[in-house]
Parts: sequence; C-alpha cells; structure tokens
Amino acid sequence: MSKHLQKPPGVPLREEDFEAQRVLSVMYRPKMRYSWATGVAIGRFLKGLREGKIIGTQCTHCRRIVVPPRVFCEWCFRPVNDWVDLPDTGIINTFSVSYISTDTTRLKTPIIPAVIEIDGTTHAGFLHVIGEAKPETLKIGTRVKAVWAESTKRRGSITDIRYFKPAEWKP
Amino acid sequence: MTTEPIRVEGDFPVYFRYTVGVAGEKFFREIMENGRLMASRCSSCNLNYLPPRIYCERCMSRLEEYVPVENEGTVEAFTITHQDAEGNPLQEPVGVALVRFPGAYGGLVHRTIDVLAIGDRVRAVFKDKKERTGSILDIKFFEKIS
Repeated sequence: MSKHLQKPPGVPLREEDFEAQRVLSVMYRPKMRYSWATGVAIGRFLKGLREGKIIGTQCTHCRRIVVPPRVFCEWCFRPVNDWVDLPDTGIINTFSVSYISTDTTRLKTPIIPAVIEIDGTTHAGFLHVIGEAKPETLKIGTRVKAVWAESTKRRGSITDIRYFKPAEWKP
Repeated sequence: MTTEPIRVEGDFPVYFRYTVGVAGEKFFREIMENGRLMASRCSSCNLNYLPPRIYCERCMSRLEEYVPVENEGTVEAFTITHQDAEGNPLQEPVGVALVRFPGAYGGLVHRTIDVLAIGDRVRAVFKDKKERTGSILDIKFFEKIS
C-alpha cells in the first residue's frame, strides 16, 4: 500500500460478528421517499407510454425530433411545442452487459442496459434494457423494437415498455 | 382521455449498519451488562467525556481510562413532541430532554417522563437485563426524581 502502511487500518467484520454481538451496532433504514415533478414534456411522454405510444417533440426551426420530449430546442434555443407520435422501433446507440444488478447482487443471466435511439430522432435517446437477446449477438446499431406491458398494467412509467428486443428491418 | 402523470414517486432502498466503535463498545456494554453509564477520562484536562470518546478534544491525547457516572442528572433542555420522526401524530406526546450528569462533560438526549422544567432532576430507568441489546434504548427513559 505504501511504505508507511503495510495493511489496511481497521478491523474486518463479518455478518456473524454482528449476530454473535462480538461488536455492537445499530441497523437503520432511513425512509427516503421522493416525489419528482415530471414537468410538461415528460408528463406527456409518460402519458403516451401508458397509451402504448412513444411521443417526442419536433423543433419547427431545425426540424430535429427528440425523445424523451423537451419543451425547448437545445440547438436553436427556441421553445418547442410540436408533438409527434413516433414508432416503437429504433437502434442501439450504446449498451453494456452487466452481471451485477442494481442492488449489487451477482446475476447468472446478465442485464443489458442500452441507450435506444428511436427511429426519426436525431442525437437523442433514452436508457432502457434489452431482452430476448444473447449479449454476443448485439452490436451498436442493432435494430430493436419495444415489448410493451399489457395495457391494463401500464401506469405511465418508463417500465410500461418492458424491454427492447432485436427486430428485423422493416422500412 | 387520461390525465398526464404530474409526478413520479419512489423510494431509495438504503440500509446501513453503524458500529458503535471503541468507546461506544465500552459505553453500551456497560449499560447492557451492568446498567451503568461510563465516561472516558482525560486526567491531564480533568474531563470525563459522556458519551465516551477515544480522543480528548482539548489536548488530543488518546483516552484509555474509563470512569462510572451517576445515573442521575439534570435537565439542560427539553421538549414535548406530538409527532414522530416522520411527522405522524402520536397518540401520547413524548418528552425528550438533554440530560447532563455531575462530573461529566457532555450529556445524553433521551425520552423523559414527567419532565416539566429545565433544572429538573432525572434518573435513568433501564430495561430488565435480559431485554437489553447494547443499544441506547436499553435505557427506557429518564424519570423525574420527586
């Protein structure tokens, strides 16, 4: 480690040390609830997901379409309120193969988070997961299609799309 | 027409385990096993720290000596709360006070019974020995000495 520090300081502890009360400790779970205001654009996007649609916005000046929708164009610095229904197909912009879940437990079957670029959009995408796919078959640019939750189970959340699966190119 | 979601609600699943540390071990084991409060002592500064600390904050020396402290003290400040930590109304209001002890530097914040004034004398009431777990709640509350 360094010439002054040959091993890490402190005492390593295991779960059984706590169970046997070899060391005293306090367990605590703080309640960390949040309520996040969606704003106009994301509110409309989430409503669209509940109805099984992907909604974006288009700038009247540069014609660029983005999803998730925004109420301003970051290229033209103009307000944007042209709403467009988009297909539920697109390409993988980037992806990762993770053998660790969001709560850091190890996974036998990896999860594949990916940024999806929906067809018709430019330099815009959102994070989701890939399903029904072997990681080694995926590439940046692989075509994907949304797999939706049943309409009765959709509740206006990004998880109303269960995952994106590899799809054939259908012009 | 369905309405647009205006908010997204969630919960961060965060857990932690706080180890009480070297001085905390002395303090809480003494409560658990002997029903007694312990302070760490700096003899050069003539200070008894309660809760105990492993360094003297005046002279920075390491503290190895521990001394017992009386279970009776004086209310320095108090409040009566009608809500729990999350803001829910309580059926019975709960008294909470900062209690200082003779000869000890520091104090304890704990639940109280019958405390109505600053300066009230109070005594620590411990749980039965077999119910103690090495926690600050091994002290049930501080009751007023009439």
